[in-house]
Amino acid sequence: MSDLKLAYWPGCVSRGFTPELHGSMALVADRLGIELLELDRANCCGAGVIAEHNQELADTLNARTFALAQSTGLAMMNICSTCQGAQSECQQRLDADSAYRAHINDALADEGLEYTKAKDGWTNKNLLWVLVEDYGLDRLKEKVTRPLTELRVGPFYGCYVIRPKHRIGYEEHPDRDLYLESVIETLGGQPVEYDGARKCCGFPVITMNRDTSLRQAGTHIADALDAGADCLVTPCPLCHLNLDMQQPEAAKVTGRDLGLAVLHLPQLVALALGFEPKELGMGKHIASTEWVESRLAGGVPA
Amino acid sequence: MPKHDVLVIGAGLAGQRAALAAAEEGVSVGIVSKVHPVRSHSNAAQGGINAALQEGDSWESHAFDTVKGSDYLGDQDAIEIMCREAPEEILHLEHLGVTFHRNAEGRLGTRAFGGASQARTYYVADITGQAIMHVLYEQLMKFSAQISRYEEYFTSSLVLDDDGRCVGAMLRSIADGSMELFEAKNVILATGGNGQIWQPTTNALICTGDGIAMAYRVGAPLMDMEMIQYHPTTLAKKGFLITEGARGEGAHLLNAQGERFMERYAPNKMELASRDVVSRAEQTEINEGRGFDDGTVALDITVVPRKRIHEALREIVLVGRDFAGVDITREPIRIKPGNHYTMGGVKTDVDGATTIPGLYAAGEVACVSVHGGNRLGANSLLDTLIFGRRAGKHAATRAKQIDVGRPSESKLADEERGIAELVGRNPDGGRRVSVLRRELGETMDRFVAVFRDEAGIQTALERVKSLQEEYPKAHIDDRGTVFNQDVLGGIELGFMLDGAECTCVAALHRTESRGAQYRTDFPERNDDEWLKHIDLTRTDEGPEVSYSPVTVTQWQPTERTY
Amino acid sequence: MPEYTLKVRRYQPETREGPYWQEFTVDLDPDLSVLDGLLQVRDSQDGTLVVRCSCKAAICGSCGTKINGQSTLACKTQISEAQDGANRRPGDHGGNPIVVEPMGNMPVVKDLVTDMESTHWEKVRRVTPWLLPEGDPPEREYVVPPESMIDVTQSMACIQCGACVSACLSMEADPEFVGPAALAKAYRFVGDPRDSQTKERLYDLAQDPHGIYDCTHCFSCVDACPKGVAPMDQIMRLRRLASHDHDIDDVNNGRRHELAFTKIIERKGTLDESLLLQESYAQGVVGKLMPTSGAIKGLIGSLPTAIRGIRTGKMRSLGKLIPGVHPKLPGDAQQHVKRVYSHSEEHREELNLYITGEEEVVPEPDEAPDPLGSAVGGGRQHMDKVTEGGSETAGQSEATPVADIEPEPDEEGGR
Repeated sequence: MSDLKLAYWPGCVSRGFTPELHGSMALVADRLGIELLELDRANCCGAGVIAEHNQELADTLNARTFALAQSTGLAMMNICSTCQGAQSECQQRLDADSAYRAHINDALADEGLEYTKAKDGWTNKNLLWVLVEDYGLDRLKEKVTRPLTELRVGPFYGCYVIRPKHRIGYEEHPDRDLYLESVIETLGGQPVEYDGARKCCGFPVITMNRDTSLRQAGTHIADALDAGADCLVTPCPLCHLNLDMQQPEAAKVTGRDLGLAVLHLPQLVALALGFEPKELGMGKHIASTEWVESRLAGGVPA
Repeated sequence: MPKHDVLVIGAGLAGQRAALAAAEEGVSVGIVSKVHPVRSHSNAAQGGINAALQEGDSWESHAFDTVKGSDYLGDQDAIEIMCREAPEEILHLEHLGVTFHRNAEGRLGTRAFGGASQARTYYVADITGQAIMHVLYEQLMKFSAQISRYEEYFTSSLVLDDDGRCVGAMLRSIADGSMELFEAKNVILATGGNGQIWQPTTNALICTGDGIAMAYRVGAPLMDMEMIQYHPTTLAKKGFLITEGARGEGAHLLNAQGERFMERYAPNKMELASRDVVSRAEQTEINEGRGFDDGTVALDITVVPRKRIHEALREIVLVGRDFAGVDITREPIRIKPGNHYTMGGVKTDVDGATTIPGLYAAGEVACVSVHGGNRLGANSLLDTLIFGRRAGKHAATRAKQIDVGRPSESKLADEERGIAELVGRNPDGGRRVSVLRRELGETMDRFVAVFRDEAGIQTALERVKSLQEEYPKAHIDDRGTVFNQDVLGGIELGFMLDGAECTCVAALHRTESRGAQYRTDFPERNDDEWLKHIDLTRTDEGPEVSYSPVTVTQWQPTERTY
Repeated sequence: MPEYTLKVRRYQPETREGPYWQEFTVDLDPDLSVLDGLLQVRDSQDGTLVVRCSCKAAICGSCGTKINGQSTLACKTQISEAQDGANRRPGDHGGNPIVVEPMGNMPVVKDLVTDMESTHWEKVRRVTPWLLPEGDPPEREYVVPPESMIDVTQSMACIQCGACVSACLSMEADPEFVGPAALAKAYRFVGDPRDSQTKERLYDLAQDPHGIYDCTHCFSCVDACPKGVAPMDQIMRLRRLASHDHDIDDVNNGRRHELAFTKIIERKGTLDESLLLQESYAQGVVGKLMPTSGAIKGLIGSLPTAIRGIRTGKMRSLGKLIPGVHPKLPGDAQQHVKRVYSHSEEHREELNLYITGEEEVVPEPDEAPDPLGSAVGGGRQHMDKVTEGGSETAGQSEATPVADIEPEPDEEGGR
């Protein structure tokens, strides 16, 4: 029996280069009793890149996704910090100006779609926000069967889910930039404080300035290691790509041995709900997750 | 020692404009500033700059408004020059790239401002001063080969030769504390006002009247030192400025009873009467018990259309939000009169020349006088640019015509000794510099503000003198050379005490009310006896009073009502 | 008056080796600023503490500092809010000290004073920051569209405080990055119709490998800026103008990346990562253009990553392995996406909320105030304007047919 039902935009990369994210999300939703209606006709959010090229195009593409979600009568959830940021930016413009909104809706009319501002208090939230604000940490705690005791987890937010301050809803939810820590604690783990937690993974410039990109990723991973983290957790698959898939390259650029596991947020939650690493596709990661597994099995102490 | 034909001290609007004008004449120019030039207080000027550029406007109309605004103490020949040259200056700025507001046709657009008979204020949102100054700084960067910039250098005194000509200045590098004698055929002071003498004030911490005091100390006369403007709309607790532009857009002033009280004081111009009139009106309301408990009245901007606020008053939305916790689009904001501008200063002619050959002054530091007893809003920016340009040009021309000898190195040694003494003072020998500074500020704000009387000014003067006696023992903490801000504060306190003394003496001396000087014991304007400037010249016993006539060209003094 | 503790990062080169922390306690009205607190320390406790400051009203730009890790102006940060921010850190939740540090990405001269000349100003000067009009000026003013002046006023609002430079994460990794302040300044000229060197300026910044495409798009500068300049937004506009209006190819593959991404979504609706990777370096290499040597290097450089991905099983399906073999959106969805493209490419409207502000919905008398949704909110820097005409209600449109939104059966979480 589920009482939380959401329109679900999985994003592109979760079904692409980080399939383990998509899979874990499905398992977690099922176990938590969250019903997800996947928007598989919806399109890419543009990741901020399309907005660079043509702002109106990005706004329209996301208006389409919003409209598809609104037509289910459900609020929307995404599992990617980048989607959250790109979409929030577009939504702010759409909501700000009715003439502009009407113009954008013109483009959607053929498909019988329309984006309506604040329709029944409609929202678009990242999984992280949904867990804390809509599902509730108390309820989450009740479902935990394997507390992540002894696991030291470094939060890595991803820029777009915490900045810019004036667009990320801090007025109503002032602690959104501390949610990962709260979730980690709720799952029984120990959040680790380190310099890079709210910095940039470098993904947006990986093809444009590889050195800048990987230096960022490498530095933040190193900081987390120095602070004693057993793994990182992130709500953004693009961050995951730069922190995990590119980790060996990042190690080369920074001249430092790394080897820190990077988990997707649903994977961390799923582990606490009792799932096994293999079910969560953790074997697909580039940076080995063996250390995490052994910590969970009560193995090697600090 | 560094040597220039023209050395400009102070890099706000007046200083930057002077440097650029001098450089255009092909001479060697140096510009000095104790802060990075873009930190200069010109950037705080929000509302706009006046010029009679529109069809149907005339410089005579602008000039008359200025004369009347000055309560007839302004020198009309200087005012005529300023107003006549204003239109060309605005166009010059626009050509350099200032992003002035435009009307629907894409041409320069105006807004209304206080004391003006028609809208002639040109503006950039509510950051006009900042916008103009940053564009001038862009030009300084462009001409860095011709204009040497000495950024974060503190000027501690001017240097005269044995013939009484100004031949340079003493500078301290803030970065490493080294002192150096700069040689210059001409020095242009553009150091701004001295509002920090009063607390609170809208003025920045750097407005300590350095140039006024330095000129005074080498014998240049100061003029109209009693004329201190209190701006009508400053935030209660912190003294921040709320631009006159708000009233220009239609905002109302209300007392605690919700009454639009300007009706009783200036029935025609209402909130856009000249600043001294409005400040006195507010202060009267407050003194007579019709203000709020915290000694304020209210400025109601909610009556201005939101779109207009967004376009033209964005800065004060931020000020209201960040510094008063008020959304000005939804509720009135509490304000009161606050110290703002010094009409008086170093006496100059219309080319910025003081009585000391080779020493010029332009901008708020100078007194030409174009503002007389009260300055109109949006005329200060104009003043800095017109007279900055004129001083720069005149000084450059003079530089091509004369030769001066080198200043004596022994003066540098003396200066260094004096500063070393200040740095090395025994902490048990006296109070902290910062304590004296605070006491000065409170005293002046209490007794030499909007309403004054003999007893009060006398009290203030005695306090100032006692602080001057204490000054040689006041101590600081920082004995280092790298970026020592403490020692600068000590030197500045000396400057401020000199300035305060002069203001008190002048205010005491003028037994009438005119412009910003309002004596409750002499409430009437008295043209027969007092249509003249009070000049102060330094002697060892204190400032010596003399008078100079007001130049009247076209406009005979009449009763001044709004 | 309440007491606050300031934990200041000090550096006194003449008396002590290396930086160190020092705590000061101040008595302050909670409405006053962190700068007021620092000045109280300087005036009554320790005159050797230095911080640049002047106007205390967030207009001179002197007091750039990092407060609780956030780059901002000290005069603009209310001390009670700074205390709230400090208390949010893990640790002693009751009374964490307020951490005050000098700006980042710049050498420190003493205490909170940094060397802005060698970093901030040098970069600003690099973008030729003065107007370069064509020929002689007109007799009167240049006639320009009024919106253009309002548009560049956003960059003109910059007070050169350096907070954005301090916060810039790209610069942290790449100190040669031209940076947000300089690029925002560059936009001030590129967006000014009176400047005649638009194309040259854009070309110069696009040809600089540390220029407009070195920005890591992280919004840190937007957060740090006390004046609403939003430097990152200006950088994106520079990219848009360079790439679209002037057809300028940059040395960072930025334009190619942008165009490739955009085209892929037009054809496939969701991202084909391997195709994007390839196309970012060498457009149309499958068939058409010869890639540059830099592009080949980039492509080859990505091979190890790709190989690892194949080995661990991330890229197991054909759609992932072979660029281009990526499914389109189901049904006629892709057609509709294409229509969105043609509509948007026709107009290319750029709504700038700095200029237009945001509309405020006037609620009906018995309606609750407009719920703008918790996903969009925050302390806006823009102002509301009353809508002309009737209110925009959160009304019901006809129920649109629920299109095929059935979840696809999951195969290994992939397609």
